[in-house]
Amino acid sequence: MSEIQKPAPRGHIEVKDFALSYETIDGSVEAVTNTHIHVNPGEFVSIVGPSGCGKSTFLNTVAGFLKPSTGTITVDGELVTSPSAERGMVFQQYSLFPWKTVRENVEFGLKMRGMPRSQRERAARTLLGLAGLEAFEKHYPEKLSGGMKQRVGIVRALATGPKVLLLDEPFGALDAQTRVIMQQILTNMWQRLKISVLFVTHDIDEAIFLSDRVYCMTARPGSIKAEIPIPLERPRQQAMMMSSEFLALRRGLMSLIREESLKAMGGELNDLGMQGLNIELQGHSLADVL
Amino acid sequence: MAAATAVTESAPALAPAATPPSFGAFALRWYRLNHDRLRATAIAVLSLAAFLIVWHLLTTYRVVFFVRFTNVPSPLAVYASFAKAIHDPKFLMHIVLSCRRIFIGFSLAAIVGVPLGLIMGRFKLVHEVIFPVAEVLRPIPAIAWVPMAIMLWPTNEQSIVFITFLGSFFPILLNTLHGMSLVDPVLVRAAQCLGARERAIFGEVYFPASLPHIFTGLTIGMGVAWVSLIAAEMISGQYGIGYFTWEAYSLVQYPDIALGMIAIGVLGLGSSLLIRGAGHLVMPWRSK
Repeated sequence: MSEIQKPAPRGHIEVKDFALSYETIDGSVEAVTNTHIHVNPGEFVSIVGPSGCGKSTFLNTVAGFLKPSTGTITVDGELVTSPSAERGMVFQQYSLFPWKTVRENVEFGLKMRGMPRSQRERAARTLLGLAGLEAFEKHYPEKLSGGMKQRVGIVRALATGPKVLLLDEPFGALDAQTRVIMQQILTNMWQRLKISVLFVTHDIDEAIFLSDRVYCMTARPGSIKAEIPIPLERPRQQAMMMSSEFLALRRGLMSLIREESLKAMGGELNDLGMQGLNIELQGHSLADVL
Repeated sequence: MAAATAVTESAPALAPAATPPSFGAFALRWYRLNHDRLRATAIAVLSLAAFLIVWHLLTTYRVVFFVRFTNVPSPLAVYASFAKAIHDPKFLMHIVLSCRRIFIGFSLAAIVGVPLGLIMGRFKLVHEVIFPVAEVLRPIPAIAWVPMAIMLWPTNEQSIVFITFLGSFFPILLNTLHGMSLVDPVLVRAAQCLGARERAIFGEVYFPASLPHIFTGLTIGMGVAWVSLIAAEMISGQYGIGYFTWEAYSLVQYPDIALGMIAIGVLGLGSSLLIRGAGHLVMPWRSK
């Protein structure tokens, strides 16, 4: 805000009293309610929650695509009101421009900033080199595998030097093996860049492996149920996923999420008129089996 | 399956050899790789030949079986009239004039239709104002516009170009609009959080994303442009390939009827190939 605060570390996200609702014929429906989160500069924070809990909606609001019904979102003290290149975003559906080559995709943000062609070409080549994609700079996205597409997506979001990186289930569409490799690549990249990251996923292992802190969201309407620090040492390696420390964290998060998933499913089952199942759910018998 | 295995097995044997593979082996591999295309071409040639032979037989023996081939010119007669027409400046002028009308009418339709479709797709109010009028006018065939066009425009030439324009305008407009409605909103969001503003989003996302549908519209529009042009020329023209064909009937020049028809077919095919070629040039990411 003021000149004095400028040298402070970049990328501090602060969300206060956040709620988001939308209007239907039956009145206003709350998607996310009473949510407070923060991401410290250079911190990797994940949000996990059952499907449909509003975590993606929440991330879209942080990106500036939606407006909160109540509350405020600030990045380094500045109120978020619209999308900006300061908040880079990576989408689950890759969202590369099919009519642009890999390099042109990476250049896009720099072009929007008015950087001259030769300069942005050089910048894009350097970035693609770091991601091991320089051989594919002239390819169109259609020719790439899912993992490669998402690497381009991440490089493109980082090219403009954003304050924070927002990722919306970026590896959700990848097969299990590729996903593990992409997690390792992302954690290595983050280790080098030390950029603030807000990462949305429903994959508990992924959240623990990548994050410094994990927020667990409740079923709809979503709100923060718990905040779990992940004290695993850095740099992270895949082998750590077998450690007792990791597994303990996993068990804790699992039970939190399962409760919420059952709540979410219970509601749906009820809607379908499957009362028998619902009674079992309330008696926790199904929960115990699962 | 067997052919594919044979190729992969022979590949390592050929590749490391320092000496170039023999011509025979090369030809064999080329044949295997292009087998399907060669087959399609051969069948196409045979099919056209069969068509000519049947045409020849039907006309030589003046077959009457529900339809009457009594006065239908034979392929040889049509060829003879083609050989004569190719040296006739009047015939060439008919063709040049038709092409010019198509060029002007179609270009105007593209120049008006594509931007209008893009703007209608982006701005709701423009869509709400223009769409109802377009929907009412669209089902009227271009031929039905002929009397009105003659009243509207001072010269015959202008009214024919206008008919051609109308024929291609609606397919171009509606396909552009359709393309705009299918633009992936995630791509728009991706552009926004890379710092793109309204104008850049329009030029860098909406326009290229709609291009495949724009070209579908241009291809259909080109086809309808020829249909409309020929109809207009037959009714009100003094020149043009449509007029030539109709005049041939009036003057009992039967081979010229078929010649006119074939010329129209070839011109229509040529112009749609031009559009397709332009599409490949403009959308390199779509070509294999």
